Amino acid sequence: MGASTLLLSGNIDTIAQMSCNPAIGGQAKGQMVRELDALGGEMAINTDVTGIQFRLLNESKGPAVQAPRAQCDKKAYQFRLKHTLELQPNLQIFQATVTGLLFKAGKVVGCQTNLDIDFLGQTIVVTTGTFLRGLMHIGQNKNEGGRLGDFSAKSLSSSLTEAGIQLERLKTGTPPRLLGRSIDFSKMEEQKGDTHPTFFAFHDTRGPEEMFHVEQSGERRIGWAPGSEQVSCWMTHTTAQTAEIVRANLSKSAMYSGEIVGVGPRYCPSIEDKFVRFADKPRHLLFLEPEGRSTNEYYVNGLSTSLPFDVQLDLVHSIPGLEKAQLLRPAYAVEYDFAHPTQLFPSLESKKVENLFFAGQINGTSGYEEAAVQGLVAGVNAVNKVRATAPMLIQRNEGYIGVLIDDLVSKGTREPYRMFTSRAEYRLLFNHGSAEFRFLDHAKTYNLLSNNRIKNIEAKQAKVTHWVDYLEKTRNTGGTWADAIRRDRVGAVLPEELAKESAPVRDEVVYRVSYQGYLAREQRQVEKLSQIEKIRIPADFDYPAVRGLRRESALKLAEFKPMTLGQASRISGVNPADISILMVLIGAGAVRARDAS
Amino acid sequence: MPRSSDTIAALATPAGTSALALVRVSGPDTAGMAQDIFGAPPPPRHALHGDYRAKDGRLVDDVVATFFPAGNSFTGEDSLEISCHGNPFIAQTILEDLFARGGRPAGPGEFTQRAFLNGRMDLSQAEAVMDLIHARSERALAAANQQLRGGLGRRLNDLTERLLGALARIEAYIDFPDEDLPKEDRAIVRRTLESLASETDRLLATSHYGELLRDGIKTVIIGAPNAGKSSLLNRLVGHERAIVSAEPGTTRDFIEERIIVGPHCLRLIDTAGLNPAPGGIEKLGMEKSLERAAEADIILLVLDTTAPLPTLPESLTKLLTPNRVLVALNKTDLLKAQAFDIKVYSSLKSVNVSAVTRAGIESLVTEIIRMADAFQPTSQDDVVAINARHADALTRAKVSLQTALANLAASGPVELLASDLRGTLAAYGDILGKVDNERMLDQLFATFCIGK
Repeated sequence: MGASTLLLSGNIDTIAQMSCNPAIGGQAKGQMVRELDALGGEMAINTDVTGIQFRLLNESKGPAVQAPRAQCDKKAYQFRLKHTLELQPNLQIFQATVTGLLFKAGKVVGCQTNLDIDFLGQTIVVTTGTFLRGLMHIGQNKNEGGRLGDFSAKSLSSSLTEAGIQLERLKTGTPPRLLGRSIDFSKMEEQKGDTHPTFFAFHDTRGPEEMFHVEQSGERRIGWAPGSEQVSCWMTHTTAQTAEIVRANLSKSAMYSGEIVGVGPRYCPSIEDKFVRFADKPRHLLFLEPEGRSTNEYYVNGLSTSLPFDVQLDLVHSIPGLEKAQLLRPAYAVEYDFAHPTQLFPSLESKKVENLFFAGQINGTSGYEEAAVQGLVAGVNAVNKVRATAPMLIQRNEGYIGVLIDDLVSKGTREPYRMFTSRAEYRLLFNHGSAEFRFLDHAKTYNLLSNNRIKNIEAKQAKVTHWVDYLEKTRNTGGTWADAIRRDRVGAVLPEELAKESAPVRDEVVYRVSYQGYLAREQRQVEKLSQIEKIRIPADFDYPAVRGLRRESALKLAEFKPMTLGQASRISGVNPADISILMVLIGAGAVRARDAS
Repeated sequence: MPRSSDTIAALATPAGTSALALVRVSGPDTAGMAQDIFGAPPPPRHALHGDYRAKDGRLVDDVVATFFPAGNSFTGEDSLEISCHGNPFIAQTILEDLFARGGRPAGPGEFTQRAFLNGRMDLSQAEAVMDLIHARSERALAAANQQLRGGLGRRLNDLTERLLGALARIEAYIDFPDEDLPKEDRAIVRRTLESLASETDRLLATSHYGELLRDGIKTVIIGAPNAGKSSLLNRLVGHERAIVSAEPGTTRDFIEERIIVGPHCLRLIDTAGLNPAPGGIEKLGMEKSLERAAEADIILLVLDTTAPLPTLPESLTKLLTPNRVLVALNKTDLLKAQAFDIKVYSSLKSVNVSAVTRAGIESLVTEIIRMADAFQPTSQDDVVAINARHADALTRAKVSLQTALANLAASGPVELLASDLRGTLAAYGDILGKVDNERMLDQLFATFCIGK
């Protein structure tokens, strides 16, 4: 977009450092990374280039719920992205910790730093991760910081609170890291990568010049071809002894001794939680994930805990293959501040403070992918705001990014929010292969992709449309080609010319034809609902003055200030009767306005 | 603002002579009107006994009036309830006086509409009240009350909760393929879906009963010309003296009356006589009579005992089954009446009556009540009468459940199975309000240990 931008980070060496497991993608997350790629985000390429193991999840299920996942070389991932930033025109990078924001007449105008240097900006995007008043727990031991070895952003919270932004605490946890040569892999089951890796980026619509610009700069090379020389993960499990150790020491856990006030995620429970909540389950699966090619460190996926260090040692040693394992870093829980995302517009701009945008964990989300999509939307809209152009608003029916933002700003969250495909009403329309088509309009409007790539996407889309149409209309033996595909499913024969098209085109055509009935139904629902999505509510709408609204609804609506009736309908506690009333009122208002003009 | 600009008034009790009549007023001018009528501002929510004086000062009746301020009333607006003596003339005078003071007659269901628009009730309650207003008999009243208290709501909530459980079992394996989940057991899902389908069916079956409650049991009187059909109709109507409405049939060939027999409301439909050798126009009328008979819940076959047994068209005799036909052997008062040989119809219940002397009418009514009783569902808590909108939503729920079951049987794509279950969920939600996806996730995380 070409806006002059400054990036401030407390430690620029840790830009894009993976605080938790060294993996990108998975269910819903993988689809989001592809959506990000369709909007010009960097995550997909970075994962493809630094991935050391690739797997397509749900391969046995349909394309709509298939998702790519990759283990990455943690350091390669981080440094390549830092390098990418360094090569980015119009971007300045500077190492300083933001200690407070500067406000003027209800708007943010800049920030203060620990170096006593103030920076002014027309818009500011805040991405604090787990660092905002971050507090780490290992049993009774407490350390300030957002990640082991890193600092905590302490004073920024009070600056936000003073501006009227409500903050609350969330909690997340991470497992211990082990030394690989102390692990007995012979007692574990190997999990290999796919023979044919599924990449995240849309390589078929990119010219060679926009593939790997870091690698092509000649300054530095990652050293392996994407998808080559994959490494394995290893599976083991907890034992009866593990369960016993956990139960015997439960009172020492930071989470069970009342040390932690933040709310943790249900989908990423600590090992304590697993044994308490699912007491009848004898053992829990654990994955050992390599952290990179040039390190011997392993991440123990599934063993997140806030038990004291000595208990952690016993815990690890009770696991097959880990009897003699050495801990490089202990497991810990981290608590941090987040700002209720219902205080945001769908552009991710604060409703309380103009020109201030939020993205990532500060909005109550969890996960690299969830943070990345918000970063892109907030960034694009911070530029739109400077230029006084309309914000990029991604609707719920366009993709997972739309679902994520709408859930956050309309409903808020009580736990760290993670994306699931089941959160999307139109999951079948969100197959990962169609992301470029779904976001093409946004990419064009906001200039997010090269002209060349836009041209390639349009050509690809034209091919898909042509072939779907052709298959539906052209007769083959016993019905149309489309009928045969729906009947024979996987084994269906394609016209020779289509078989010659690229795999992404072919796959998309076959998907659209095979699921035609269901896709059409979801499309109809989208169109039906888009009516109320289009009904805009005036920003100054006086909810408490509406006599028909229940008090609870009026208060909620006044607080959330939904932009459309569709958004209002998703606010919890607002019922269909309230929406009917609003529809009548706003409809009547619109009619009056039309009559008056 | 939904603030109604005008004040409406209407008679809240059925038209006709009764001990008391209730006139209801609602809208912004209510308080002012009440002060003018009674000479003092009415105390909120207290029954005030006083004289109703018309605008010109003359005394109309001594009445009991209760004022409900906005927020505390049925409609959510200022409203007034006036109980006067049940003389139709008094109620009419009061209404006319209220109109003279600036009120206007309320449209059908307008009080409920205002209550709904003022957020005093949700859609399902509003519909229940509409049904209550239209309730034509005790049973209909009971069903409407049941729904208002959430009978339908409770049952649908239960179905929804179980559906969410089944959906969570499917979604867990879609969203967490890498997790250490127990082996997927779709048999549990299938059993749940089967029971949901059959219960949805049971609710749908109440649809016709609901129609009977609201519209009345369609009772078609059929017989040869001059068998005494019209006199019998007049006699039945007169018997209970409870004409709910007297509207002409949808075609000029039919007379339709609504009567209350016991706890039931009957739509009594008189048809053109069945002539064995009809001419042009008459033939057309007869065809229509037969059409009516085919749609009937109860057929009242009137036979003239003084005449030979008529030859009935075959299309009619086909319809004559014991649980829907009652034979009225008419004109038994006449000397000419003969020991009528009805062995052709021996399987049918028959009653000897005289439309002229009224003999046997009591027995006929008793038989009609007995037959009407058979229309209500067997269990008392089944008194859930769904309306057309509910039936439409439940039909959609049923169709998507069936598609889902077919998918399960064929081991089809799981995301399509989930899509159909979401279709079912949305259909239940069309009656109860949207179901938040969080509820599915709650069940999912409670059932499965998710999280590596």
